[in-house]
Order: sequence, then structure tokens, then C-alpha cells
Amino acid sequence: MFFHIVLERNMQLHPRHFGRDLREKLVSKLMKDVEGTCSGRHGFVVAITGIENVGKGLIRDGTGFVTFPVKYQCVVFRPFKGEILEAVVTMVNKMGFFAEAGPVQIFVSNHLIPDDMEFQSGDMPNYTTSDGSVKIQKDSEVRLKIIGTRVDATEIFCIGTIKDDFLGVISDPATAS
Amino acid sequence: MQRMLQLILDTIPNQSRDGITFHFLLSNNKMSLVTDSPVHSSSSDDFAAFLDTELDSNSDISPDQEEEDDYDTDNKRIKRCKVEVSESIEDPQGSTSHGDPEQSLEASVMKDVSCTHPGVMGGMCIQCGQKMDDASGVAFGYIHKDLRLANDEIARLRDRDLKSLLRIRKLCLVLDLDHTLLNSTRILDVTPEEEYLKNQTGSLQDVSKGSLFRLDFMHMLTKLRPFVHTFLKEANNLFEMYIYTMGERSYALEMAKLLDPGKVYFHSRVIAQDDCTQRHQKGLDVVLGQESAVLILDDTEHVWAKHKDNLILMERYHFFASSCRQFGYNSKSLSELKSDENESDGALATVLEVLKRIHSMFFDPELGDNLADRDVRQKG
Repeated sequence: MFFHIVLERNMQLHPRHFGRDLREKLVSKLMKDVEGTCSGRHGFVVAITGIENVGKGLIRDGTGFVTFPVKYQCVVFRPFKGEILEAVVTMVNKMGFFAEAGPVQIFVSNHLIPDDMEFQSGDMPNYTTSDGSVKIQKDSEVRLKIIGTRVDATEIFCIGTIKDDFLGVISDPATAS
Repeated sequence: MQRMLQLILDTIPNQSRDGITFHFLLSNNKMSLVTDSPVHSSSSDDFAAFLDTELDSNSDISPDQEEEDDYDTDNKRIKRCKVEVSESIEDPQGSTSHGDPEQSLEASVMKDVSCTHPGVMGGMCIQCGQKMDDASGVAFGYIHKDLRLANDEIARLRDRDLKSLLRIRKLCLVLDLDHTLLNSTRILDVTPEEEYLKNQTGSLQDVSKGSLFRLDFMHMLTKLRPFVHTFLKEANNLFEMYIYTMGERSYALEMAKLLDPGKVYFHSRVIAQDDCTQRHQKGLDVVLGQESAVLILDDTEHVWAKHKDNLILMERYHFFASSCRQFGYNSKSLSELKSDENESDGALATVLEVLKRIHSMFFDPELGDNLADRDVRQKG
């Protein structure tokens, strides 16, 4: 799920940046530091949308660096248990398949793939129904439900299922191209 | 669960307990329990109903002041531990007690499903998504770095795999890298007589041509064994192939890139040193193939102590002088003699014939229809 929230961060800035562009420098450094990172509590920081407030700087003893407390608005993405996501399949093997929804990696084990879908090895490993009408392979898009999440400092990993109503392939690269 | 209910009960005065309905209010990551709240999430309805019935059946229990104090200290401790997601239950009278409704809810759901936890991926069960802390089962690091599978699941997967393999008339083939499919040396160890090789290296952009490659970032010079491309291409029709090497993972993956630039032969089936379950031993325990249908091609016999019957021993391929010296040969290496194994009747060509023969014997139609009972070890 996406959230638009306000976060705060202490930014350290080198004295050479002090001048007319201080604020811009601070913002561009913030974007570089924060966007694309992941925090356990909020999930992935997708984009910074605005700066709420830059606090008073504090000079660090000995180094000359100045620390500014910056409050910023950002869009974060965090998957939850029970959430339905659309994801792109990245790898298929006999254990199941891996898919990605943006920065989140999701594993769907073969226990949670409908029983009528069977693994087919070969050049392009895939899961296919017996009549061949539905096929999951690399680059397929699937709709899945998250049943477990583990949030680390740097990545979020999920276990998903497609063994439920209205879940499964939503677009097949073979038919699309 | 009982304890938590009791806790809620204890905080509600006796006379007001009857007829109270509980709902969950989800707001701001906090879960609070309020009476007759107009707003509630549907997912907690079940729990609310469950509470109702429990309350009715337990309504004759009188509150115990001393016990309540105990629980309060208990629960404050719990709350302090949960900094990330703080959940609290508030009773209607405003005196607050804390608990963890989600966890007990989960526990009761789990009881109904009774998952066997076939495997763990990144600390979660691959079937029910429950958090699992214990590191049991066999690690399958080459499929995913955090994957572990229970023995029952491995057996199930092998069984299923065997059926699908036999249906497409394939067996399993485990291939060693060094001295079997190729020969590598450190660039440092290249002798003066071999210097000429450095001008003959093929381009890494198009590895299908050429058989000698210089991997500067790994400080390696690698020579593929003659016939290896044809070997892999033909073996791919008869076998599902694994790479299994005692080398490091990064090395194994680089070699796989040289051997299989199109990624059609091996996919994620590259097993390296750190995937082995025993030191200095290769085992089929991390190979998801039924042992009766696995053939192994390796130049070292003693690493396969438990699977000698599956092994086809290969003549060692020594191209570089350093490799010869390592094994104690004093004669000139192939590279120093500027020669090589013969393309058409070298060791790989010979062994391909053997593999083809085993394959055709295994799938011999005269032996009847029951493929699953056959064993490569009888013929190999």
C-alpha cells in the first residue's frame, strides 16, 4: 500500500555548500540519501514530494559539518499481509516462482499455485494448466495475495499466494507480444 | 487466548458485562477495542463474535484485583518490547490494559489449518506465511539465499520432478566444472611458454565462438574443453543438467555464463561450494532429482563417497601447465605443446556416447511401461 507521510531526518552538510543554494543542496542530498531506501517501519521511500520545514543547523564540533533537521513529505510503499498486489514474474522453478512488485520481492511456492497448474521444465520453465490455456512464465504479470512479510533494514520480502478467487495471471507475455 | 479474555473480563465491572459487544477500531496502526463502536473493520468481526460468545459463557467469573495488577505489569513489559507496531485494547471504562489481539487471532487461525511448514523462505513458511525462526531442513542457497526445505518436501518435490522428467524422457545429469568441462588457471601462474595464449583469447561478448577466455576481474584464464558446446547441446535433449562444483559461487556463475550464454541449460541449477551440506564432499541431497535418475560426471571420485553408483568418472582435462603441476605431472601440458584434446573423439565425445547409451537403455520400450521403478545405477 502507498502512503503519503511526513518523515524527519538529520542531514549533515559540508560547509562548502553554505551559500545561496544551501537549501537546494540540502534537498538534493536528501533525495539522493533517502529515495529508494527502505525502513522497517515505513517501507520503501518511493519519492520525496515536498519539504515541510528545515530546522536550525547545529555545527558539529571538530568537523565543521552542520546538521539540519529536515521534515519532508514523501510517498512510501509498504506491503501488508492480506494485501492484493500485481507483480511481474522474474523467475520460475520447480519450487514455485518469484515475482517483483516494484522494489518488493515476492515468492509464491508451488503449494500456493492452483493444483491444476503443473511445472514444465525446459528452455522457458513455466506453470501451465492441463489444457494449456493459462501459463505463468518469466515476465508474466500476476495478481497475488500477500500472506507473509518480512521487513529488513534494506529489503522487504514477501510470501504470496495465487490459490484464491480472482488471483493469477493477468497478462501473458506470449499473447501480448 | 483464554488469558487475554480473562484479562478483558477482569477489567470490566461485573454488572456491565452482559450484553456488551466488542468491535475493533483500526486507526493509525493502533488497534483498539471499543464497545458498540459504529466503525469497525470487517476482518475483526469474527474475533468480535468470538469474544461475545466467550463473554457469555464466562460471565459468572468475578474480577480479581490482585490478578489484574499482575497482568498489568506483565503487559506493560510486552508493550515496551513492541516498539514498532503498538497495539492496545481499551476497555469501555477507560482503565487501560494491553494485549496482542492479532497474535492470538493468528494462532487460532493456524490451529485450524495446521500447516506442515514444508519450507522456510526468508524466515517465513512458504505455505502459510507464518514467521519461522528455527533454521531446520536443508538449505537451498543456489535457488534463493534464504530458502530451506524440510525433508518431506524435498522427497515430494523429487517424486513430482521424476514424474515430469520421465514424461519428457529426460534424466538428471550433474556436471563438474574444473577438469571435466573446462580448465582454469590464475593469470599469475601462466608460464612463459603459455604467454602466446593471451593473444588468442575469445571475446566475452560472444562466448559461443572460441574456447579460451580471459577473465581479468577474476584474474583467471579459462579454457573450455573441446567439444563442450556440442556436448551440452546434445545432452540438454536427454538430461536436465546441473553444475556442481567445489569452486566458489561467483566462479561457478561466471563459468556457467561461458558454457551457457543463452541460459537455456542450467537456469538456477548451479550448485557451488557453500551449498554443500558436508565439507569437502559433494552430495545429491541438494539436488532436486530422484537418485535413481541422476548421473554424475566428475573427475574426482572421492568427493562422491555416498553416490559412487551414480558417478561416471571422467579423464581429467589438464590444459594449463599449472594444472598439471598441481596434480604432480611433470610432462609438458597441452598448452605448452600447443595442442589440445581431439574435438571428435576426445573425452567429452566419448562420454556423450556413453550417456546416450544409458539414456536409451533406461527408456528402452522393451522393458515395459513402468519407468518410475527403473534405476540408472543398475546400468551406469
